[in-house]
Amino acid sequence: MRPSALLLLAAVSLCLAVAAPARTRPHYGGNLRLAIGEAPISVDPADVSPAGKSMPPSLSRLIFDTLVTLDARGQAQPALSPSWQVDPGNQRWLFSIRRGVAFHDGTGVSSDAVAASLRAANPNWKVFATGEAVIVECDAPTPDLPAVLALARYGIAKRTGGKVVGSGPFAINRWDAGKKLVLTARDDYWGGRAFVDSIEIEMGKSFREQTIALDLAKADIVQIAPDQTRHAVLEGRRVLSSAPTEWMALVFSRDVPSAQDGKLREALGLSIDRDAMNNVLLQGGGEPAGTFLPNWMTGYAFLFPTAVDLQRARQARNAVQQAPVWTLACDGSDPLARVITERIALNARDAGLTLQTTTSAVADIRLVRMPLPSLDAWVALGEFAGSLGLPQPKFDVDRLQQSANASTEYAAESALLQSQRVIPLLHLRTAVALSANVMGWQEDPDGSWHLQNVWLETGKP
Amino acid sequence: MSFRRKLLLVFALTVFLCVGAVSWIVSTVTRRAFERASEDQTTALIAQFRREFSRRGEEVAHRVETIAGSETATRMALAVSRGSTDYSAYVNEAKALADNQQLDFLEFVDSSGTILSSAQWPAKFGYKEGSLPAGASPGGAFLRQEDLPDGAALSLSAIRQVEIGEKPIYVIGGRRLDQEFMASLELPAGMRAMLYRNLAKGFSAPLLVGPSGNAQQLAPLIEQVQQHQQEATALLHWSGDAADDESVHAIPLNGLDNQLLGILLVGNTRRPYVELRNRIRSAAMLAGSVGIVLAILFSGWASSRVTRPVEQLAEAAREVAAGNWNTRVPVDSSDELGALAESFNRMTEELLQQRERLVQAERVAAWRELARRLAHELKNPLFPLQLTVENLVRARQQSPEQFDEIFPESSATLLAEIANLKTIISRFSEFSRMPQPQFQRVQVNEVVQNVARLLQAQLQSPKHSPIECRLELAEDLASIAADPELLHRAFSNLALNAMDAMPQGGTLSLRTRQSSDRVVVEIADTGAGLTAEECERLFTPYYTSKAHGTGLGLAIVQSIISDHGGRIGVHSEPGRGTAFMIELPDNLDKLAAAG
Repeated sequence: MRPSALLLLAAVSLCLAVAAPARTRPHYGGNLRLAIGEAPISVDPADVSPAGKSMPPSLSRLIFDTLVTLDARGQAQPALSPSWQVDPGNQRWLFSIRRGVAFHDGTGVSSDAVAASLRAANPNWKVFATGEAVIVECDAPTPDLPAVLALARYGIAKRTGGKVVGSGPFAINRWDAGKKLVLTARDDYWGGRAFVDSIEIEMGKSFREQTIALDLAKADIVQIAPDQTRHAVLEGRRVLSSAPTEWMALVFSRDVPSAQDGKLREALGLSIDRDAMNNVLLQGGGEPAGTFLPNWMTGYAFLFPTAVDLQRARQARNAVQQAPVWTLACDGSDPLARVITERIALNARDAGLTLQTTTSAVADIRLVRMPLPSLDAWVALGEFAGSLGLPQPKFDVDRLQQSANASTEYAAESALLQSQRVIPLLHLRTAVALSANVMGWQEDPDGSWHLQNVWLETGKP
Repeated sequence: MSFRRKLLLVFALTVFLCVGAVSWIVSTVTRRAFERASEDQTTALIAQFRREFSRRGEEVAHRVETIAGSETATRMALAVSRGSTDYSAYVNEAKALADNQQLDFLEFVDSSGTILSSAQWPAKFGYKEGSLPAGASPGGAFLRQEDLPDGAALSLSAIRQVEIGEKPIYVIGGRRLDQEFMASLELPAGMRAMLYRNLAKGFSAPLLVGPSGNAQQLAPLIEQVQQHQQEATALLHWSGDAADDESVHAIPLNGLDNQLLGILLVGNTRRPYVELRNRIRSAAMLAGSVGIVLAILFSGWASSRVTRPVEQLAEAAREVAAGNWNTRVPVDSSDELGALAESFNRMTEELLQQRERLVQAERVAAWRELARRLAHELKNPLFPLQLTVENLVRARQQSPEQFDEIFPESSATLLAEIANLKTIISRFSEFSRMPQPQFQRVQVNEVVQNVARLLQAQLQSPKHSPIECRLELAEDLASIAADPELLHRAFSNLALNAMDAMPQGGTLSLRTRQSSDRVVVEIADTGAGLTAEECERLFTPYYTSKAHGTGLGLAIVQSIISDHGGRIGVHSEPGRGTAFMIELPDNLDKLAAAG
């Protein structure tokens, strides 16, 4: 099945989901059960754990409010902070705090608590509480600070005696690190009570276990692997796919040591058949990527070549007399990553390069998968660069404010790619399968869930 | 080495050789039996391996056949015949079908060799299958090398063709030849099977499937099979303990195109054989030890029986040699040893008789010599006596004046000759009355110095030419037990003889020295010397080279030295003087006995 058909199918599914309220009215109550692959070891939003061990942003936002949220277009919207102001230098920001908001333990969300939470999340900032507002001073102009504060890790948390409580729509009822999280809806949530009474989240489940849980009616929402989406649809499951958001790329462990090494990296990038990977191995579960940010987000990604060019790859390879054997590592527990690395090794062999696949932590090249950090392009680029150890993209504040963002983002992204530390491969779609009684499903373009809007249909009216 | 020891050695050696020969024969026979058993077991195991190989091959072929007949394969073949190259539709099919049919390897390959779907290497779709057997056609299972992302593996594979339309596709499925496969073989105790996957040039330890120990030791055997592609056997020493040795038989396993893909290694431990061999050796050692002990006892008994008469004869011979000619050997048997004993007894009896006869003869000769000497000695003074008396008688008869005139002279002559006769008689008497030595602690040097002192006056007498007396006495001379009077007498006698031998003057040397536990006294002159014949007869009683000697002086000296347990010898050459050498033992035991 072609990706276009898959997209159509997903759109139809989404329409059906959106149309569902037309058939039945939302109602409160019920226990929503999720099974996910991630196994977070902490609920604290400020804890930065490796991929798979940190709390998914969609779940973190159920517990912890952020000062700001981003809408589907990446625009900052008020959340815990109803308004904010910035000085002309874009370094000093003042965020007012919404009144009448309380943490799950009943204490009010004060400016002091917010300031303490933000200081814990980013020690580099100078954060002061002033009346019913907080002042954030950055060490450099940060025009996108509201978008940054919309990241889940800046969720406002109150930390007392090793316990972390938030002010989100759900409070923690039970927490078994890495295994299970039970949330209870707050009746007094400032944004309105969630429809379901509670959410049970089983963690650390493989895709197979999740599918079985869904089939056995032990879960209402499960994740679907990108390469299994089409199969799940063909099996008649209720599958909802996101736009291509998850970034998959090859990341070199060090900078280009020589021009010859740069040639070899170029040869590797040109030898990779991204289309075959996407169409065959991913079953159309993504799209070839030549950039960090997906095309739907920037509009310019198509300008970066993704097609295989073996002739040029061999030319680049032949420009170097002797090529080293690179080790290519991937997460051994990720079958998709394994098959992708094997394919890359085969493609590289066609260009005269030898890659030795491994699951070791130490390797010349590593296959990475990263979710889209933010719907704000600059924030997303900064997050990518920070995670990969690349230089942070430089803001030209004046240019940023005067012209369309796309050109500056293009320039920033080009600069990152020219470092040859990264070879983008694919943007993958995230997908979930829902049981028939799950209604009101909403998802941002970056794949974030809005579980507080989900309600469960208990039976036919 | 005594006869008894030789006999004992021969007995022990015989027993040892017999036991050794028996144990060697038993060991050889045992080793051959074990080798035959090992060969039989190896053959049986190889046959079992082939049966298992065949059985699993049939199983694989059946499963591949099932997959080839499946709807998926049909659909794939239809799509390929229509020219579709959408690998995405099949990429996961091979894996699913392989899991379903419990195959480790499964690939769908089109007629051009392009992989449509691969279970073992899903990412390899669209690539050419490197090892598609030439003229792939349905048949039994065969050995095949499977390329994998992380290397290669050996598989028992089967291939089937799905032909729908003009372009067939091929289904290649197989199961890995690995530890699990080797574990399915029922191995007799002490045997093990290993499989070497010949996926690289030379030997590589990771390619060995199965228990191996120090796999590097298998390298020469593997390389030998790789080189010659023939079965080979090697004895491997895994440790210093021979019981850990293992006989390993290597059988080449070829693929369809006769390429060497694997080597079956059948190991057969030699522990049972070595243990049995050790037991045999232990038993042989025990039997040998017991046999040798028994041999010692038996040979001791037997040799005592055999050698006792011989030893008695030897002891008797020693007694005879020591002068005890009365020795007799008991005659206990009538065999050769008995005859020998009788002969020995006859011999000693004959010797005794001969000695008696010799003694008688010597006694007669001695008496004759004595009579001759007496006659000679007495005749000399008697003749002047007779002449003097006849002169006196004649003178008395002729004239009394003449008688008176010659009477004093004649009477003086008579008295002188009578005195001479007395002297002769006293010397004989003295010789017959030699006293036994009275032992006391004596410094020989002092005795020698006393002799020199007493002789000093005579040496310087103007009656004869001057003789120089030279004393060369050892300072560290040990004292001995001796009779100083007798020694003095003996040394004086020799010194006087030496002086007599130097009428023209010369040098008298008196020397002493220590030789081991003996004291040596040398008395030498620079006189005319003696002939060899004179030297031989020198100590014979009554022999003398002097005009007026009795021939008893040196005999007395020899008697004194002999009574002291010593020896006397003479060394002389004509014209070079004579030296008497006297060796005296310390005789301290006699001193203790006397004291």
